[in-house]
Amino acid sequence: MAPLLEAISIGKTYPGGTIANDGVNLTIEAGEVHAVVGENGAGKSTLMKILFGIEQPDRGEIRLDGKPVSFANPRDAIDHGVGMVFQHFSLVPSFSVYENVVLGSEPRNGIKFDRNEAIDRVRALSEKFRLAVDPLPPVGELPVGQQQRVEILKALYRDARILILDEPTAVLAPQEVEELFVAVRALVAQGRTVIFIAHKLPEVLEISDRITVMRGGKTVGSVNARDVTEQSLATMMVGREIALRVDRAKGRGELACEVKALKLEAENGVTVAADLNLKVHSGEILGLVGVEGNGQAELLEAIAGLRPIADGVVYLNGTSLAPKSVLERRGLGLASIPEDRIARGLATGATIAENLIATRLADKRFVRNGLLDLKAIKANALALIERFSIRSGGPGYAVGTLSGGNMQKVVVARELSEQPKLLLVNQPTRGVDLGATQFIWKSLTDARDGGAAVLLSSADLSELLALSDRLVVFYRGKIVAAFVNSDDLTAETLGTYMLGLSSQDPEIMRAALQ
Amino acid sequence: MIELLVTVFSATFFVTVIRTTTPLLFATLGGLISDLSGALNVALEGMMLIAALTAVVVSVYAPWYVAVLSGVAAGGILGALMALFHLRFKADIILVGFAVNILATGGTVFALSQATGGDKGTSINLQSKAVPAVDLSFLEAIPVVGPTLKALLSGHSVLSWLGVFMVFAVWYFLFRTPYGLWLRGVGEYPAAPEAAGIPVGKVRAWSLVASGALAGIGGAQLAMFNYIGFTRDMTAGRGFIALGAVLLGARHPVGAMLAALLFGVFEALAVVMPSLFNWIPSEMIQTIPFVVTVLALVLFSYRAQRARQMRTLSKI
Amino acid sequence: MSSTSPSRWAMIGRETGRALTAVVIALAVALVVILLTSADPGAAFQTLLTAPLSSNRTMGLWIDDVAKLTLTGLAFSLVFQARQFSMGVQGQVYMGGLFAALIAMSPIGATPLAIPVAMLAAMCAGAVYGFIPGYAKARFGASEIVSSLMLNYIAILVVNYLIRAHLAPAGTGQLMTAKFPDTAIFPAIVPGTRFDLGIVIALIATFVVWFLLYRTSWGLKLRLVGHNPKFAEYSGIRSSFVMVSAMTVAGAFGGLLGSVFVQGRAFGNLAQNFDGNLAFEGILIAIVARSRPLAVPFVALAYGYLRQGAQLMGIRTDVPTEMISVVQAIIILLVASSFSLPGKKFIAGLFGKKPTPAATPEVAK
Repeated sequence: MAPLLEAISIGKTYPGGTIANDGVNLTIEAGEVHAVVGENGAGKSTLMKILFGIEQPDRGEIRLDGKPVSFANPRDAIDHGVGMVFQHFSLVPSFSVYENVVLGSEPRNGIKFDRNEAIDRVRALSEKFRLAVDPLPPVGELPVGQQQRVEILKALYRDARILILDEPTAVLAPQEVEELFVAVRALVAQGRTVIFIAHKLPEVLEISDRITVMRGGKTVGSVNARDVTEQSLATMMVGREIALRVDRAKGRGELACEVKALKLEAENGVTVAADLNLKVHSGEILGLVGVEGNGQAELLEAIAGLRPIADGVVYLNGTSLAPKSVLERRGLGLASIPEDRIARGLATGATIAENLIATRLADKRFVRNGLLDLKAIKANALALIERFSIRSGGPGYAVGTLSGGNMQKVVVARELSEQPKLLLVNQPTRGVDLGATQFIWKSLTDARDGGAAVLLSSADLSELLALSDRLVVFYRGKIVAAFVNSDDLTAETLGTYMLGLSSQDPEIMRAALQ
Repeated sequence: MIELLVTVFSATFFVTVIRTTTPLLFATLGGLISDLSGALNVALEGMMLIAALTAVVVSVYAPWYVAVLSGVAAGGILGALMALFHLRFKADIILVGFAVNILATGGTVFALSQATGGDKGTSINLQSKAVPAVDLSFLEAIPVVGPTLKALLSGHSVLSWLGVFMVFAVWYFLFRTPYGLWLRGVGEYPAAPEAAGIPVGKVRAWSLVASGALAGIGGAQLAMFNYIGFTRDMTAGRGFIALGAVLLGARHPVGAMLAALLFGVFEALAVVMPSLFNWIPSEMIQTIPFVVTVLALVLFSYRAQRARQMRTLSKI
Repeated sequence: MSSTSPSRWAMIGRETGRALTAVVIALAVALVVILLTSADPGAAFQTLLTAPLSSNRTMGLWIDDVAKLTLTGLAFSLVFQARQFSMGVQGQVYMGGLFAALIAMSPIGATPLAIPVAMLAAMCAGAVYGFIPGYAKARFGASEIVSSLMLNYIAILVVNYLIRAHLAPAGTGQLMTAKFPDTAIFPAIVPGTRFDLGIVIALIATFVVWFLLYRTSWGLKLRLVGHNPKFAEYSGIRSSFVMVSAMTVAGAFGGLLGSVFVQGRAFGNLAQNFDGNLAFEGILIAIVARSRPLAVPFVALAYGYLRQGAQLMGIRTDVPTEMISVVQAIIILLVASSFSLPGKKFIAGLFGKKPTPAATPEVAK
């Protein structure tokens, strides 16, 4: 019998010249959980977009039940029983759960949208597949895990036989991952097929039956999950042995930054974080752990000066930061690598040279009497391009012409061009390939060894565990636990605190906070 | 002051308000639909103007309803043109909108001079028709309230009644039909409907067409009821005021109607005030709708800004 | 930023090619319209294309338009570079013209100080008028498009009223003021034509705007805010301040245009509806020039020629001047859209054009 879904010799080149897929082969059998793994940039997402009809392949063929098919758009794919859950959810925030689920295939009564029918069907689906979610509230008010369920329900509502999950665990806490896996198993038990895209290998080994490995736009091979180990998979993924180990700090220095009884409010007065106390010393990395939206990002924003402080104080080397502007804080030695480089860290339309000095427009070397020193600006750019090996056409090119990894290097170069005293880092390697990840980690540890106090927030627990000297866990705007990093500390332990399932003895916490 | 109050609370004033509100109401509903689909339609002004001229010229040769329909078609075609350039050729919607406005300002004068044989000011030489008023004189027969009812309800343009119906129709469409759900989804977060297989581009294009068609009715009412005949630049900023009214109406059809009524009241005041207060220069009275729009815009934006903050932060 | 960038000349070449293609297509459409409507299409089209060169006087008219179009183009370029869609140049022109006229008609008007003081007053008035929608946006989040458009109408009505009721010579029923004293009117560079100080002012203004945008930190901040306001805020740039100041400075140039209008040899007085909708044509100039100040005068030169040709066509032939709006609209539509020269790829990335958020959920990783 023919396999359920086959992709044969798929090739795809983007208009910019990026070769995303080059001879990709994938075979999915009915009723299996099939993982597709690979580094960022290996071409997984492009392959999935082709399978879901968002992109059209330049070469190759897709077969469904042995018959060649071509999907001109997602609608075609949906009609053929393929559903997809994106990493970034495709949900309209103000619409209710049931409206989001049925959007595009609404039950009708004449020309009228039959709401009751929609609600009933969503209820029935969520019971059948053990995806508990209330159909009525707006999805914007739901936690991430539930939003993901809504996405899965959307695909099931359209009778998806094949469900593609794109990095579904990236946004979830470990316990939520378990719940997701329960649902995935329920799906397979009811005869559905799941394609699971991931790069976290332990999860892949846990949930999947078979695994296809991609590297550099090609498929390296397919293996049975029980025949491989984490290490052998990793070797297949990168084509060489990898050692993502980082040297820990040799010893910490003076107290650099102290946060005391900090309270942060939204502009309408709702408290988003309260009673935050922590200390960071020069030469150490303090990891901020927590499911996104529990106050870590807000803390970093408040220290950077992008969010007002409602109460409490933040000191940087003895100076209170509250009355200082963003520029003055930067003058005191604060640097910041923001969460989303394109949204916040760069002006993609401006040149590389301009981006590299954008945060230093008060610096006498580049600006005197309000006038730009173009020679100094260009020299600065050339030096940083060299030092951080940014691949580009030159300082006069727009940042938008660079690849994602090189864009992130521009941000890192700007922030680390001078040794910072306090470095704020949020999701430094999200969407960055492994090579650039290693480079960025090295840059962070170099900054630390140079005497910077580093506050690191990341959704990737393995990144936090690899880099941090100490970790604090955020839950609902409060610090609920603190740890000195050691080999005994596991992601699962952190996970129980991230979800508020366990609480730490105040004495232990206080000791680890020092 | 007393005269003003007496005037304002008279039935004739009410009739004037309905008359001044009607073109604005259609333009506002048009602006609302494109706004909810995610496109700011700054071309309402030009669409109304071109539709007004089209309706007037057609009315010379055809019955009034054909003229109104041709105005609607003109607005719709302009909407399609905007969709073509914005969606297909990726031009900024605001620039496309202003291209339409520029085309309208000069193009209507050019077309007018072609149609009238050289007159660039008005269509006074054309035998154009008017939209009929709905005569409800029989209401007078009702005891006690009859005369008042007749004074209030009789004599409005057919299109004013259509306007009331359209408020309901637009509301029903947006909030009770699947396509309304699509349209609002496209405007709020296009990635979601796209992933659900909804043709996002088509939804946007049809919204612009509908937006133009509605503005077109407004233009027809302006040139075939409020005034009989076309005058250059006769929309006089109504299309832009409608943009303000969309925001002021909290992006809801009923709100749009109330906002259009508010501006209609001020425009009506500008109509009646010169006879009451002849010491106030007419130009100053004419500024009233614009000043009110700016003030209302600032006030509403401020409140919306605060409401938005409340909403987004409640998620944290 | 620097002139060493290898892509710069290629970009100028490509943009010029695009603009010329747009003009050719627009003129072809114009030709069709003329063929359909004119009794003597040959003469009309010839007038459109050659009349501005027919005499010293017409060349003066052309250069006068170029000066004014350059100024309005600069004002729009400034706000567009900050990615604000303030449409308030027209209102600023009226306010600037009003204040220039008030100075010219005051005792100062008869002194040698008349020209500089009137220009300064006009710039201040324009700046204040540009500031209002900027502040309303920064403080209250009010759409600058709508508020600036409303302010245009208000300015025109106020100025028209003041002229009719107070500034025009009493009892004449004229809708304009008396001629200003000679000391308040720009001297002619070529006697007997409109070729006056205006073009010099426009060229100086071009240099000033270029210098502000590309050589000062304020200009860099403004452009960074235009590219990405969130990034600007993160970098320590107060984006709302930059936004408001951009609109204010652009307003000063709009006001300056008002003074060039009323003090230029074309008028020499303040008349009702004096701008002839020219202020709005700055949108076209700025779009075609891609908001680059140094390109603005060149675009104004080419477009001003077309505009003057249309004026003369309206006077000398049976095709109304307003026909040119068809050409204007087509040029804007074509230049603003992503059409490209046949056979050449349009590399959007070089212009920093981000894809619309609607396009795809996520770009390939």
